[in-house]
Amino acid sequence: MIEVGKDVVVVGGGPSGLAAAVRLAELGYSAAVVESGDELGGILIQCIHDGFGTKLFGKALSGPEFASSFIERLGELGVEAWTRTHVVRVRLEGGSWVLTAVSPRGVLRFKSRAVVYATGCRERTPFEIRVGGTRPAGVYTAGLVQRLVNLYGVLPGRRVLIVGGGDVGMIVARHLHLEGVEELLVVFPEPWFAGLPRNVQQCILDFGIPFRPRTIVKEIVGKERVEGAVLVRVDEKWQPIKGTEEFYPCDAVVFSVGLVPNASQLEELGAEIDPRTRGPVVNEYFETSLRGVFAVGNLLTPFDYVDDAVETAFIAAEGVSKHLSGEARRDKPIPLRPGPNVRLLVPHRVEWASGRDVTLFLRPSVERENPRISVRSSGGELYHTRRRYARPSLMERVELPRGLVESSPEGVVVDVE
Amino acid sequence: MLSDVVCVRCPRSCLIRVAVEEGSVKSVEGYGCRLGFEYAVEEVTNPKRTVCSTVRVVGGRYPRLPVRTSEPVPKSKIREVVEALRGVTVKAPVRRGEVIVRNVAGTGADVVAEMDVEPEAA
Ligand SMILES: Cc1cc2nc3c(=O)[nH]c(=O)nc-3n(C[C@H](O)[C@H](O)[C@H](O)COP(=O)(O)OP(=O)(O)OC[C@H]3O[C@@H](n4cnc5c(N)ncnc54)[C@H](O)[C@@H]3O)c2cc1C
Ligand code: SF4
Repeated sequence: MIEVGKDVVVVGGGPSGLAAAVRLAELGYSAAVVESGDELGGILIQCIHDGFGTKLFGKALSGPEFASSFIERLGELGVEAWTRTHVVRVRLEGGSWVLTAVSPRGVLRFKSRAVVYATGCRERTPFEIRVGGTRPAGVYTAGLVQRLVNLYGVLPGRRVLIVGGGDVGMIVARHLHLEGVEELLVVFPEPWFAGLPRNVQQCILDFGIPFRPRTIVKEIVGKERVEGAVLVRVDEKWQPIKGTEEFYPCDAVVFSVGLVPNASQLEELGAEIDPRTRGPVVNEYFETSLRGVFAVGNLLTPFDYVDDAVETAFIAAEGVSKHLSGEARRDKPIPLRPGPNVRLLVPHRVEWASGRDVTLFLRPSVERENPRISVRSSGGELYHTRRRYARPSLMERVELPRGLVESSPEGVVVDVE
Repeated sequence: MLSDVVCVRCPRSCLIRVAVEEGSVKSVEGYGCRLGFEYAVEEVTNPKRTVCSTVRVVGGRYPRLPVRTSEPVPKSKIREVVEALRGVTVKAPVRRGEVIVRNVAGTGADVVAEMDVEPEAA
């Protein structure tokens, strides 16, 4: 067995894990990055479109370009990166975190005083949204298609049905269209695309790709290979409207129906999970309910911007430093709660006695023009900031002065109004 | 004339309003950064997009290499750019930023590699 001892071990070598390791090394800690995949970069390696890094670098980089800048920096700092190494379990042993990982070289044991989890999201599957019919060859998730097309040059089919009007579905639709898929149709239950307006414009409208709102797949048809799908229209409550079934012939169905944080290991370990995000509950330095175990990036909740995911990693690195140097925590944490118009909010509480201002990320559940994002305590409004618009497809970032939160020990509510 | 443009340069998707009079831009409002200002002006005068695609690469880990245009190209040229990449094959090693096709489809933009490809032992 290979034994590795470090101050901090980072689980996951996507942009968030890389950013955490870079910042930790810059702060003078010894760190190792452990990544299941063949290479570093996480989901960015297959995201060949541009639009990454506008906040951090002021440039619209492609996914691989964005990842490279961190991979190079990691190399300069001499941080160890273990690829093809999958962390299978974590335990607390005698005050240290012990991670067991498997790799082609055998079993590894990493021992550290703090752990940063950066395991990203997984894709929801058609099973999770209860699609009927058979399971023939030709049913894919969007992420898998992105990998097949962008890394292997393999198209899923000639006539492709895409299920889901989110960003991933739209981006995949554009790639398939440009790479020569003859016929495409995008269906989704919402009245309009759920993803970002920029993607509706540049992926769908730019190319005239056909789409049908308020439509879902009732059933997949085909014995060995997909022969088509039965589409059905739905009402506002997403209930199928009888008599609107229609057979759509196609040879592949691609599901892009959402991302879920990869939090099962943390859950097993006993970390508290937020039912809204399905990721871990964290404090203002993105530390989970387990002391010394941090969670960053898409593992918290899927971020629209890689820049925001990376920011959580930078903040967590400072938190690791506070933990390792034994800085004081509050006797009682201050809860940060989402208001009625907020679908989800991270972090969940303020737990340290002092430190930086509190960086909040929230996803509105409503669409509003010229909204205010407000922060209230039982005594009234503490803070607000204005936006030109708020919509569920867009995560909002708010920097909340620490002193305001500390003045309301019973907790604050963040809302969009 | 007023045009509303959704900025596509980053996920924030700013809604930018451009006023054009007698063929020249009079005002631009609502952009979140400089990239968006430039984008909006261009979108109403000469719409452009960065094209991202892949070419064949031999000797690397994967059979495809992600590539992009070095700068946005006219929207009407997107198809031609993608077509021009169809028969292209490169050999590992490849360096990020390396030019794969110069002046693609006569647009003046080059097509460049998005990442390094190290030669893999066969
Ligand atoms: C299709 C798509 C398009 C996007 N477009 C944009 C865009 O235009 N602009 C933008 O700014 N952002 C965009 N994003 C968002 C951005 O890609 C993400 O916010 C970012 O990649 C999150 O990084 P991460 O490191 O948290 O997760 P990931 O990139 O998913 O990395 C997680 C890593 O952890 C590894 N891992 C998981 N479990 C283990 C384990 N047990 N042991 C070891 N390793 C493990 C995985 O292999 C993976 O490499 C897009 C996302 C998607 C899906
Ligand atoms: S204007 Fe700037 S911030 Fe707004 S969408 Fe465009 S690139 Fe993003």
